[in-house]
Amino acid sequence: MIGSERSAYLFLSLLQARTGSSLISRLGELPPSSILKISAKELAARVKMTDRAVRSFDSLRHDFDPDAIVERLTEKGITALTPADEGYPERLTEMPDPPPALFMDGALPQGPTVAIVGSRKASPTGLGVARSLGRALGERGVCVVSGLALGVDAASHQGALDGGGPTVGVLGSGIDVVYPRSNRRLFDSVRDSGAIISEYYLGEAPLAWRFPARNRIIAGLGDVLVVVEAAEKSGALITARHALDAGGDVWAVPGPPGVPECRGSNKLLADGAGVLWDIPEFVEAIAPEPIRESGKKTSEPHIPEELPENEARALAGVGFESTPVDVAAGRSGMAVQELLSALTLLELKGYVARDEAGAFLRRSVG
Amino acid sequence: MSVCRAWSFALLGIDASPVEVEVDVSAGLPGFSVVGLPDAAVQEARERVRVAITNSGYKFPTKKVIVNLAPANLRKEGPAFDLPIALAVLAVSGAVPPESLEGAGVVGELSLDGGLREVRGALSMAEATRRKGLTRLLLPEVNAVEAASVGAVEAYGLQNLRQTVDFLKGEAPIVCARPTENGKVEEPENLDDFADVAGQRFAKRALEVTAAGGHNILMSGPPGSGKTMLARRLPGILPPLTLEESIEVTKVYSAAGEGNGKLLTRRPFRAPHHTISTSGLAGGGSNPRPGEVSLAHHGVLFLDEFPEFSRPTLEVLRQPLEDGHVTISRVAATLSYPARMTLACSMNPCPCGYAGDQRRACRCTAGQIERYQSRISGPLLDRLDLFVDVPRLTREELRGEERAESSKEIRERVSGARESQIGRQGVPNSALAGRALREVCRLRGDSETLFSQAIDRMGLSGRAHDRILRVARTVADLSGAPEIEVEHLAEALNYRRSRFVDR
Repeated sequence: MIGSERSAYLFLSLLQARTGSSLISRLGELPPSSILKISAKELAARVKMTDRAVRSFDSLRHDFDPDAIVERLTEKGITALTPADEGYPERLTEMPDPPPALFMDGALPQGPTVAIVGSRKASPTGLGVARSLGRALGERGVCVVSGLALGVDAASHQGALDGGGPTVGVLGSGIDVVYPRSNRRLFDSVRDSGAIISEYYLGEAPLAWRFPARNRIIAGLGDVLVVVEAAEKSGALITARHALDAGGDVWAVPGPPGVPECRGSNKLLADGAGVLWDIPEFVEAIAPEPIRESGKKTSEPHIPEELPENEARALAGVGFESTPVDVAAGRSGMAVQELLSALTLLELKGYVARDEAGAFLRRSVG
Repeated sequence: MSVCRAWSFALLGIDASPVEVEVDVSAGLPGFSVVGLPDAAVQEARERVRVAITNSGYKFPTKKVIVNLAPANLRKEGPAFDLPIALAVLAVSGAVPPESLEGAGVVGELSLDGGLREVRGALSMAEATRRKGLTRLLLPEVNAVEAASVGAVEAYGLQNLRQTVDFLKGEAPIVCARPTENGKVEEPENLDDFADVAGQRFAKRALEVTAAGGHNILMSGPPGSGKTMLARRLPGILPPLTLEESIEVTKVYSAAGEGNGKLLTRRPFRAPHHTISTSGLAGGGSNPRPGEVSLAHHGVLFLDEFPEFSRPTLEVLRQPLEDGHVTISRVAATLSYPARMTLACSMNPCPCGYAGDQRRACRCTAGQIERYQSRISGPLLDRLDLFVDVPRLTREELRGEERAESSKEIRERVSGARESQIGRQGVPNSALAGRALREVCRLRGDSETLFSQAIDRMGLSGRAHDRILRVARTVADLSGAPEIEVEHLAEALNYRRSRFVDR
């Protein structure tokens, strides 16, 4: 038998997932634990509820079995954290609308955390920044929190994994539902390095309204929030607002003026967000010393002079922005087949990366 | 004599099969019937033959005339039996000496005034003439040169029925047709040359590798980046057609009725629109014709907007890519057309076309992009060895470009590489698989280290593994290297699938 307060939170969690509106924020002086004792009529008298919500309340409570719920979760190796439990993230309790329960596959890492959010279809440059940032943080052992969506989310998680750091993914679907499906491999890696978290119980569908809602958890889990590329109306900006509401620190990566995909993040900068103009400087500000001593030592920084002559020439042709092969060929003056082999060797050594449009960009990390 | 015979041919796929035309004239009510599985066009031959004979100044027998086309189980199509039927009828009535039809194949469509119209598949019929052991082929003049390319058969080009009869009576000799240039494959003159394409050196190099190894390629890039322009130039860098290849191509075109009456010497380039039907691509129809895959035989099949083709349509590509021919099953027969082509595909990276473009924003959602890219079937993707991204480049970005190489220069390298492949393993590198692949593409020392690094860091799948080895072998062949060295492998790694396509 689990504690009555805990089961009350679990009940609230299931109810909120059904009605789509936050009840916990409207309870007022009513203690959450009383929710299982009070009748729907009585509750409706004290808290404004729609008829549908009242019906859901009744039917849900009729067959509510907290032990069965916990058992099913345990079977899958998933734990449930409620505000009644120790280890429930403190910052979330300070939010106006804390999730009544967090279902968690994995464990929340200790130490500083940085949340990274941005457009699902960011530019190659934006994706490059997200990945480098995730990697730099991962190398310092800083936990990267993001939403396991496509684009910036995936790039940040991947970067953190590249750097060998812990990373946490927050879902907008049930805790065991992989969405988008193409991210399955990333899901597994993220879970193995840190945790997958969701406020939705097993099997819940990835409904559209659940994504903006999960943004508040991303904001609440990060000590610092970084917005990489965001349009003016975007989930990333919602996350930034949640972070500011919770008293968090918000940074943004400057983008070129006038580009619609960057207007939101640029506006944040204009409104006083921290300017993330240099990744090492930012990492230094967040985590002054390498926290993680153990583990594989990241490769020695290479000095370009060590490179063979043709690779050095090829590297000179690649910019920090996405550079198509033909542009690099023009700049370096190399024959294209020579250039192509040099670029692959540079890619394997980590000097350049290939973006999804097949162009190369230079990476600052050796 | 009441029964006379002439040899003719029916087209099955691109090959012709001999058909014996027998005509019997007997006493009875005047009539004219054709038996032996004739289709509508053959049935109508009765009217054309009757009128053409009368209009040529001969008498059509006012008796019971029966035409039998043997073997009777083979379905006969088309109007090419007009002339043999007419000649056999005239032989029975004595206008033509029956023995003059011995040892000769006869094909041709008659017009009402007795003139001869062209037929499909003349080249295949000439081959069948030779196989059957006949020495002469009588056919419409427009088809004579094409038929003569076969050699060993005297092809006589004829203009009308009257001339034919005079020729058979020995009254008006005709010189048999000669093949153009003695059957030598002439240097094709190319209108589309790589010298005219500024920049896009990455894509050009990828096409060169494609041509050299007999690979297939997928080009991905925004609209206006030049994918079609590049693909059009691919046939020009493939090795020149050999005489046998040239005859095969001509047979296909001739069977489709698209020949020009001569031996085709240029590699075909076919670019069907994405709305094409399955039988349009594979061939078939009630009057079977070769489809686009066969018309691209020994040439290039270019599928623009690859994901827009319907799935069932694209699935028919699997057999030709695997076996080099396409089989069409129909009620009457199962036909096989040759279809050994280089497949070049192009696609936009997303529905609006601008994902990843440097200057124009993409308007598609992430989900839309994923759906668009997942339209291409996996098994088909596995048949493509090279993937190349073709970006849009501005004039400034193209600067620093020295004179672009001409297709002729590239073709010389390609031919050299092909020759060394055939000398080594008998097939182009694209056909390497299993043990042959492991033997020919063995990596040593540095290149092996590089490859295992690449597999780890680039996340290459088992299939990608083989593809890259094949391409690396071709790159090595292009530079004349006996072994795959580090630089060859490193270059080949660039032609792997970008994340746009790999899921």
